[in-house]
Amino acid sequence: MVKLAGALLIMAAGTLIGFAQAARYAARPRQIRELIHALKRLETEISYGQTPLPEALARVGAALADPLRHIFLRAAARLAERRETTAEACWTGAVEAVWPDTAMRAGEKEALLRLGASLGCSDRPDQLKHVRLAMVHLEAEEAAAREEQRKYERMCRSLGVLGAALVVILMV
Amino acid sequence: MRLKQLYDWLPDALCDVLDRLPGPVTEQLEEIRIRQDRPLEIVYGTESSFVTPAGAVTADPGPAWRPDRGLCRALLERITRHSLYAVEEELRSGYITVSGGHRIGLAGRAVLENGTVRRLRDITGFNVRIARERIGCSAPVMPAIVDPAAKTIRHTLIVSPPQQGKTTLLRDVARAVSAGDWRHPAAAGWRGRKVGIVDERSEIAACENGVPTFDLGPRCDVLDACPKAEGMMMLIRSMSPEVIAVDEIGRPEDAAALREALHAGVRVVATAHASGIDDVLSRPVLRELAGEGLFRVYVILSRTGGRVAHRVVTAEEVLAGRFGRQAVRSGAAPRDAPPGWAMRPFAGPQAGVPGH
Repeated sequence: MVKLAGALLIMAAGTLIGFAQAARYAARPRQIRELIHALKRLETEISYGQTPLPEALARVGAALADPLRHIFLRAAARLAERRETTAEACWTGAVEAVWPDTAMRAGEKEALLRLGASLGCSDRPDQLKHVRLAMVHLEAEEAAAREEQRKYERMCRSLGVLGAALVVILMV
Repeated sequence: MRLKQLYDWLPDALCDVLDRLPGPVTEQLEEIRIRQDRPLEIVYGTESSFVTPAGAVTADPGPAWRPDRGLCRALLERITRHSLYAVEEELRSGYITVSGGHRIGLAGRAVLENGTVRRLRDITGFNVRIARERIGCSAPVMPAIVDPAAKTIRHTLIVSPPQQGKTTLLRDVARAVSAGDWRHPAAAGWRGRKVGIVDERSEIAACENGVPTFDLGPRCDVLDACPKAEGMMMLIRSMSPEVIAVDEIGRPEDAAALREALHAGVRVVATAHASGIDDVLSRPVLRELAGEGLFRVYVILSRTGGRVAHRVVTAEEVLAGRFGRQAVRSGAAPRDAPPGWAMRPFAGPQAGVPGH
């Protein structure tokens, strides 16, 4: 009886681990896509609205879902505080603070940080170029992430179930 | 209070140094000049000095505090609200106005496109001009510019070199007219007049979200950040002003708009850079307007030892050439200016000019 309960627990745990891992593979391309949409909105704010950066970031952030919205809202709040010296410092701080909550990896982070280095400190055409460059970079990462998702998402799920089954068989 | 507002826009390191300035200097502070890697300079009263890191004022640039590249970048980011792309028009004009009406002039490297300045880059020179409100400073001038027959003011041009208080006086004249503070014996019982202000540089009213932060009386409408000539036409068409106030006229399109205002029966009070009537008459557009007799009164400001003196010259005196020579002649008078301007065949004061 105890053995059966243990086996069931192991099966459940293994399956959950597999599903959680698979969910990360699924979340990454979704979040990258969302980030690309956010940058498109930022592009519009800069080119048509000529909205100052703190407001532009706050507006873009307000339309996003967790956890990405926090990057934009946090950066906007830090800019509005006028404590920090540069927009780059505010943006970098926000990205670093929120990053662990996202499913994204180093490539996307680098694209965002590089964008941060030029945010606000050049004229409109140049800003748009930088935003577009970041979007291209993110699109490449998105393609790679989808490929990974296709390859590993199912595998992770089955691996979790099968791994748990293996442990149970060895125990019996 | 306005200085506190300004400090919000300056980097902390700069505020720390300014905070240590002696009290009397802070009170009279007029300009803060920040130049990258060069001594920090301030202008107060009629003096200018360098500032040491301890906040002492000195005439010797050696021990003065020198703002570095990081500080200049931080300053530029703050005054542009981290958004250079949103202030391209201002960068083309070479200044940014921050809340409180303080104007920050910029110097750097111009980026040209088809021969005209598109914007500035490598901005390393800043001139922070501190806006001051002097309610009542127009009191000595008002009796001279009031037009008792029409119960309003005459067409007035306020003339002085930079930094002598033109905008401050213009602002207070606008306030006095809109509040009915006429200061004239015949004016008892007159109401204020509707005043329209075209505030191209956001200096006269220092609007925040469209609401003036300076006291401009109860009957003022402000077109903020609007080009002067277009703004005057817009006001005449839409806001039925009785008096229009504009700063720093001098372009041909300004003259056209001023004439339009005149024929619409609107009184105009304007300012212009010039050290005296001689200079006014050597600037093509102003000379033309003076020749037409458009401005009925000229108020010439000069400052000695922190006191602003004014001299009033009427159009008749100008047209008759009896305005007297100015003590200070500007070197800006072009050599090819006609020597005897009064000899020019003016068409004479136009018929139908109100206030004749």
